[in-house]
Amino acid sequence: MKKIEAIIQPHKLEEVKEALKTIGIDGMTISEVRGHGRQKGHKEVYRGMEYQVDLLPKIKLEMVVPSDRLDEVVNTLVSSARTGKIGDGKIFVFDVAEAIRIRNDERGESAL
Amino acid sequence: MCPETWRLLPAEAAERRIAQRSEAAGGMVADAFARHLAPVFSNGVAALAVGGFGRRELFPHSDIDVMLLTRQEISSTKLKEPAGRFMQELWDTGLRLSHSVHTVDECCQVYDHNVELSISLLDQRFLAGDSAVHAELETELPRFYRMHGRSIARQLAKLSGLRRAKFHNSIYHLEPNIKETPGGFRDMQVAQWMSRLLPAYSAPDLKAPWAFLAPIRVFLHEASKRDDNLLSFELQDAMAGQPAEMMRSYYRHARTVAVAADQALLSAEESQPSLIRQLREWRSRLSNSEFTVSRDRVFLRAAGQLSSEPDLVFRLLEFVARHGIDVSPDLERRLASASDEIAKAALTKPLWPLLETVLSQPKSSVAVRLMHRTGLLGALIPEWARIDCLVVRDYYHRYTVDEHTLVAMEVLESIPDKRFADLMQEVDGSALLRAAILLHDTGKGSGREHSSESERIAAALGKRIGMPQHDIDRVRQLVALHLELSSTMNTRDMDDGRTARILADRVGTVEQLKALTLLTFADISAVNPTAMTSWRGDQLWRAYVIGREELTRELETERIHDFHGADTRVARFLEGLPGRYLRTHSGEEFAGHAALAELAEEKGVALDLVRSNGYWRVVVAAPDRPGLFASIAGALSAFGMNILKAEAFANSNGHILDTFTFGDPLRTLELNPSETDRLRDTIARVVLGKQDVRKLIASRRSSAKPRRVEARIGFNNDASQSATLVEIVAEDRPGLVYDLASTMSNAGCDIVVVLIDTEASKALDVFYVTAKGAKLDAARQASLRSALMEACSTGRV
Repeated sequence: MKKIEAIIQPHKLEEVKEALKTIGIDGMTISEVRGHGRQKGHKEVYRGMEYQVDLLPKIKLEMVVPSDRLDEVVNTLVSSARTGKIGDGKIFVFDVAEAIRIRNDERGESAL
Repeated sequence: MCPETWRLLPAEAAERRIAQRSEAAGGMVADAFARHLAPVFSNGVAALAVGGFGRRELFPHSDIDVMLLTRQEISSTKLKEPAGRFMQELWDTGLRLSHSVHTVDECCQVYDHNVELSISLLDQRFLAGDSAVHAELETELPRFYRMHGRSIARQLAKLSGLRRAKFHNSIYHLEPNIKETPGGFRDMQVAQWMSRLLPAYSAPDLKAPWAFLAPIRVFLHEASKRDDNLLSFELQDAMAGQPAEMMRSYYRHARTVAVAADQALLSAEESQPSLIRQLREWRSRLSNSEFTVSRDRVFLRAAGQLSSEPDLVFRLLEFVARHGIDVSPDLERRLASASDEIAKAALTKPLWPLLETVLSQPKSSVAVRLMHRTGLLGALIPEWARIDCLVVRDYYHRYTVDEHTLVAMEVLESIPDKRFADLMQEVDGSALLRAAILLHDTGKGSGREHSSESERIAAALGKRIGMPQHDIDRVRQLVALHLELSSTMNTRDMDDGRTARILADRVGTVEQLKALTLLTFADISAVNPTAMTSWRGDQLWRAYVIGREELTRELETERIHDFHGADTRVARFLEGLPGRYLRTHSGEEFAGHAALAELAEEKGVALDLVRSNGYWRVVVAAPDRPGLFASIAGALSAFGMNILKAEAFANSNGHILDTFTFGDPLRTLELNPSETDRLRDTIARVVLGKQDVRKLIASRRSSAKPRRVEARIGFNNDASQSATLVEIVAEDRPGLVYDLASTMSNAGCDIVVVLIDTEASKALDVFYVTAKGAKLDAARQASLRSALMEACSTGRV
């Protein structure tokens, strides 16, 4: 099992969710987060004054998938979240040791 | 979870089931008492039913509260073993029993931290044991409540306030807890308890709400097999063929209960010792010849007929909306019973002027809520009645449509985020913004797309109630676009310039963008208490900023060209004016201004000075020449006028159209009609260059007041292809516009477009300027910046 953590642009959320749904992935955790990578914020002008906005709003998606579906899910994420510009985000993949369904103590991939 | 055939019991059957369970449980307690406690304590101990058990209101899974009442204190070693067996037996039969042990003396004392004991004894009844001990309690209790009823009532009011606050003091939850939510069983009990604690208060008849709620609660307990009182969507579906209709009835009954509880809680407050009461009387100084404020409530002085005096009712509503103080319970009852007649009498005249005075006040939500509770709002605006208690199921929405709308209005009165709070101070036409909020969801439940349906309703209503066409257009645009900013921040790339252009194109003016931003802020915040996260606040702000930047940029770049739909004279005048002109003026004004421009062509200057809504406005047309804007601003300042807004536009024929809106703080023009002619004449002379404006204002003293707003000046050479954008935020003062404009003229800059605005004590000025027909280079920007800073800070040029 693999855990996928994807940081994406907020306006891409609906498109990404829709793309994941079409390949049968609908369980995920979504959080509103702030951060920056190489994009390093941007300048905003309000009433003639420039403000440096350091932390940009992003969306974090987290999901755990069976290892054999990893490539398919990652490819879907990449293609649906991409605009080609700086700030499109990142995807991180982790190994998952165990998954447990609290309700019935089910273990492993069947608990996903 | 429940079989499909389950339906609600009729009220009588539910009542029977509740009474039967109480009887059965009473019998079981008596049996267990006889077996385990009576053999040890032949006298001096009795078992009492208290709380809901005492009232014979045991729902299928309600807890059972039993009190062991003793004459004297019994040592715990003696009591522990038989009481333990007594409890055990009852637990084993499946009853969820809580118990307490008290002496008669303890029952007749006030405990600050256990007021629940005194309240539970209001519903006590004898079950088993020594009836003589119970008789002692029965003798003592009335005296105890006579002495301490008021203080217990205040404690109860405090606890009820905390409970109700957990539900944001609202009955209109889509999935209510029918026991604890305001308007539920607990509120019903509070009303009944208060009538026994406070001699001055008597509870209204609440049999109908009880008969409605009891079968629902029986159903909830049986479906969940525990004491669960949450009326979830799933169980609403299970118990009713038309769940939405059932919920509408629920809210109407809950409203009756909540009003009764409100009045009970108010009576408890009024029983406060006079010193504390006096502290709350500070607002009584707001009283006037028609209304008295006492104990934080508004009373009517004259016993006039509300139904025949709609103007009086609206003056009352305006008073409530200005001070944010609700009316007395009695006055509210009178409004409610006369609401249809009041509406009938009010609707013989256009409604909007009356409604506008209410909606312009800072605490208008208090008045709108009052109108809603008394039925006056629905009687005046039948479109509102359509969303009264309307349920639209949505995972995120916590409230019914009407409640969501009212919460949204309240949000605007205490905005926690400073950026949006400042924007609220700046918004132009707050009554229109509030009208848009009131109507933004009226199209819900129609089965059609609700934004456009609400827009249709707003347009028809605005016309019917006599709203000016320009205001109707503003309100209907806000209603139609009320999801636009949400959609911009959620689904569009805000780094992409096209997003800002689309937004600016749809919204049209900075004024509308501000109102729309606030409407969106209120709309999201009123979905549920945690919906407006700081993350979403930042996103919404970003959408506002990119839209505003674009609209400011377009002031100079977007010009009217080949305007169709007007005669050639008007089209010639419009040619080359900024697009903003079209969005902020009506067709009638186009023609008037075109005529003014023609006159100016002939005479060198033409102007129109009018007074409206407490302000003055002068429109000046003239052939353009350097320093013109500064000259007019200077002439106004020399007359002691305070410029609030200004626009300076030029068309392709080299004609300017400058508009100044100004206040007359010393009432010079109002009190001396001849001064109006002199002002007109002076403006004409400075425009024609026959009078030197510098001499006119030479005698003006500079203001020595300390500055609270630090001046900020920004230059932007990317906003337009041909001019430099200069944005200035500074503390407003008389003569500031003249000082800034003349500083620019003195520095050799030509002013192309101007938009001056003042909000609270801030001046927000946008100038597009050129020097020798080109943008300002870095050196000129630097020198102009320091000259402007000097003008902002010292008031001397």
